[in-house]
Amino acid sequence: MSEEEAYEFVMNTLRKEAIVPLDHEEIDIVRSIEKCMNCGSCINLCPVVAAVGMDTFSGPRSIAIELSRSTPEFWTSANMIFLCTGCGTCRENCPHDVDIPMIVNLLRWVIYKQRPELIPKQLLEVQNRLEKHSLAFEPWEDIEDKNESRDVRIEQLGIPFVKDRKGVKAEVLFYPGCQAEERAQEVREAAKYILVRLEVDYCLLSEMSCCGLPARLSGAKELARDLEKKLISKIKETGAKKIVTTCAGCTSSLSEIIENSGVNVKVYHIIEYLMEEVDEAKLKLLFERGRGTSESTITIHDPCHLIRHTSRMIMYYASIILRMIPGVSIKPSSAFDSCCGGGGMVGYHSPHVASRVTEVNVKAIERTGAERVVTPCPLCTTQLENELFRSNVVVDVDDFTVFIAQQIARGER
Amino acid sequence: MFDVVVIGGGSTGTAVARDCAMRGLKTLLIERDDIASATVGTCAGMISSGLKYMDEPEIVDLCSQEVVYFNKIARHIIMKNPILTPIFGMSDLSSGGNFAEEYSKRAAKRQVPPVLFLTPEDSLKIEPMLNPDLIASLYFEEYFINPFRLCILQAQDASVHGAEIRTYCEVVDIRLSNNEVKSVVFYDRVSGKKEEVSTRIIVNATGPWAERIAGLAGTNVELRLNKGAHVILDRRVVNVGVIAKAVDGRMIYLFPHESTVLLGTTAIDTWEDPDTLVTSHDEIEYLLKSMEWVVPSIRKARIIRTMEGVRPLIAEWKIPEGEVTRGYKIIDHSDEGVSGLLSFTGGKLVMCRRMAEDVTDVICKKLDIQATCETHIRPLPGNDSDIDVVSLAKEYKVSQHVVERMRTRRGTKTRDVLELVRDHPEWRTTICVCEPVIEAEIRYSIRNEYPRTINDLRRRLRVGTGPCQGTNCTYKIAAILSEELNLGIAETLIEMTRFLSERWKGKRPPFRGDLLAQEELVQAIYSCVGNLDREAIHEPNPWEEGL
Repeated sequence: MSEEEAYEFVMNTLRKEAIVPLDHEEIDIVRSIEKCMNCGSCINLCPVVAAVGMDTFSGPRSIAIELSRSTPEFWTSANMIFLCTGCGTCRENCPHDVDIPMIVNLLRWVIYKQRPELIPKQLLEVQNRLEKHSLAFEPWEDIEDKNESRDVRIEQLGIPFVKDRKGVKAEVLFYPGCQAEERAQEVREAAKYILVRLEVDYCLLSEMSCCGLPARLSGAKELARDLEKKLISKIKETGAKKIVTTCAGCTSSLSEIIENSGVNVKVYHIIEYLMEEVDEAKLKLLFERGRGTSESTITIHDPCHLIRHTSRMIMYYASIILRMIPGVSIKPSSAFDSCCGGGGMVGYHSPHVASRVTEVNVKAIERTGAERVVTPCPLCTTQLENELFRSNVVVDVDDFTVFIAQQIARGER
Repeated sequence: MFDVVVIGGGSTGTAVARDCAMRGLKTLLIERDDIASATVGTCAGMISSGLKYMDEPEIVDLCSQEVVYFNKIARHIIMKNPILTPIFGMSDLSSGGNFAEEYSKRAAKRQVPPVLFLTPEDSLKIEPMLNPDLIASLYFEEYFINPFRLCILQAQDASVHGAEIRTYCEVVDIRLSNNEVKSVVFYDRVSGKKEEVSTRIIVNATGPWAERIAGLAGTNVELRLNKGAHVILDRRVVNVGVIAKAVDGRMIYLFPHESTVLLGTTAIDTWEDPDTLVTSHDEIEYLLKSMEWVVPSIRKARIIRTMEGVRPLIAEWKIPEGEVTRGYKIIDHSDEGVSGLLSFTGGKLVMCRRMAEDVTDVICKKLDIQATCETHIRPLPGNDSDIDVVSLAKEYKVSQHVVERMRTRRGTKTRDVLELVRDHPEWRTTICVCEPVIEAEIRYSIRNEYPRTINDLRRRLRVGTGPCQGTNCTYKIAAILSEELNLGIAETLIEMTRFLSERWKGKRPPFRGDLLAQEELVQAIYSCVGNLDREAIHEPNPWEEGL
């Protein structure tokens, strides 16, 4: 038997025995759980466990001490592991920093290799779209329809249209993410408008391409890597030194892949960009121009991908920026940093579970008496909006970027 | 009057009881403790092709044949482990080549490939934890059986065929009449009473205790006792098994085993009491140091415990301990003037069925009975067909992982356990969260598999064997056990401390670094949750006070 045949033979046996050979990095992920001392703090704080109970989702401790011990058995977790919203509350509260969200992604990937038929079909659909279009959402068939939808949205919100800047070199690359690109277009437009008003030298990718997060979260590791590579080369083409994004998920995902790639580019959520790179006086001035045009009582929802996967500083910045706006008063919500329920792709295949997780947010938001919720994440925005509506709670939800753009626009009129 | 009394409930004893019962002999199995409570429970479970004993070809042949039989009669408790033997230099290569040749001769029969050679790159893709300096690796496959389940199933199958199984009965005397065995006297540890049963034949299958039992009849057995120790890691930190040369040139291994990894094993002459043996610091360091060359990160892995046992090797002297034959012998004590007593020396897990067949042939000849052995044809309970874990989990609303773990213990009998949750939906509760095991299986086991203690349940179900070593489940299991067996509060409390002290025996030797900090927390849990620091509640067992 030749060396190649021998290797093929061995790999075939491994497949039959459900042994998916983990690489060095993955074994290190599995081994990071050796520090788990089974204390159970994570179960008490897991929002999915709180919402649906341990019979439906056995929780982070079970992932650590039970489900991730033996690779050939990883597939058995398929009916649990896809319900993790990836919020990272467990990791944040773990006395030993066991990285459960990483382990969840690893389990999902192994299941993808062992028993792909056990993966929720909605996730396979997302993967298909990603493979086909490099986007997590089906692109619009007709560009005219897309533009029309965009125009309706920004007109309702009172955000002026500014033209896309594509195919040019600029210091800043604005990366809207799949959702703002294809669905929540108002977020993309709002960000462009803000950047233009602040006279930032920015550009867009000539063709939007996903950061790979949805692929990674649904277990398609190789696909995620392909998307990362593709995006990195596109970013290099623009020559940008800074990337600004409006999506919480993209912020954490881009930070990670840029760091791993060694490219010398800094990733900012637009909140960070406004705080760190823009002259405060300039921003205040834009806000002041709109003084008296509007009064608003808001509450803030913290996206997990910012506070737990990137940095809690970002939401501290967000509150500073929001306080600069005349006429805005902020009512704290008791569930300010509680997962919205839509993360980890759960919203795609188990919306009933996602809704149950959102309930605690809905109740807390209602109790604040605020007129609107502001959150810097298009996914949280959609999830909260849907669930508030379903619960007949009359509170508007605004993406942070849109909310800021509206204030600047009011001053311009 | 029994035809046969088998003393010892290990792999050999239960196999003998099964064979005798299947051939229609009136059989009694007496075990001092629990089924599989000693030697067999400390092995790696490899039903080895005899790879360590390539210079004893007849043993390799026998082992290979037995593997084929086990795969027929017990495939639900067997798994295949792919194994890599990395090669670092020319000397490794030449010894590896000889081994490859012997191994490959019998590979097809066992339905495994001949030894394959892999490039360093391919080896590292399969097992990235290997030392990257390797120049090649040998690949081969071995089968592993759950040794506890094997013994339980053999005992249960013996019962099905009419044998009587008595655990917690310690043989205290063998009575003779006219130089022939007449009866066995044993002390029932549960009732505290002595009993006497008459029998025509006695099989002494007590492994390292064979000398002691033979002594009761005034006869002799000589053994060369050999200690073996394992270090158990808390999860699978390697993709496949790894075999390596130890500091002294012998072979040691790192095998994925259930949800853990076993690092083993030592093989040293011992004159210690097999009842009180513990793994020494030297053994742990010998294993870690030896494996470190091949899997450099091994020392950083979390150890959950050690386990140790004694091999009752055939008494060959004045040769190195590693070179003693791994074959077995049946000693007929009529040569010493006592007829009706047969003792085993030597043997390995993989040979247990064959050893039973041989001794039962001798018994049948002595008793003038015509019956052929069928233990290699008739399956053990649960081996009938494959089961669909996903649909069973759905049907009974039990987690897939729980059902899969159950399947590896019970095969088609999994459904019998799950049936219990129809009347008792609350028995879906996970009791041992590491392994995991639900209440229904614990109740089922107590009712059908004659455990007396939490430790017995541990052997049957793996409860308390995970990373927390019973910290979280001991209390819950004790509550269930006390309800099922009608234990009083004091008895239950004692049972809990007994189980925890048994766990302590294996946890104590490897303590180092982070393990100490983790144990601090565990001790705090015992005292804060279980109030186990409150009073000295240990009372000696009835048999510990002297008979």
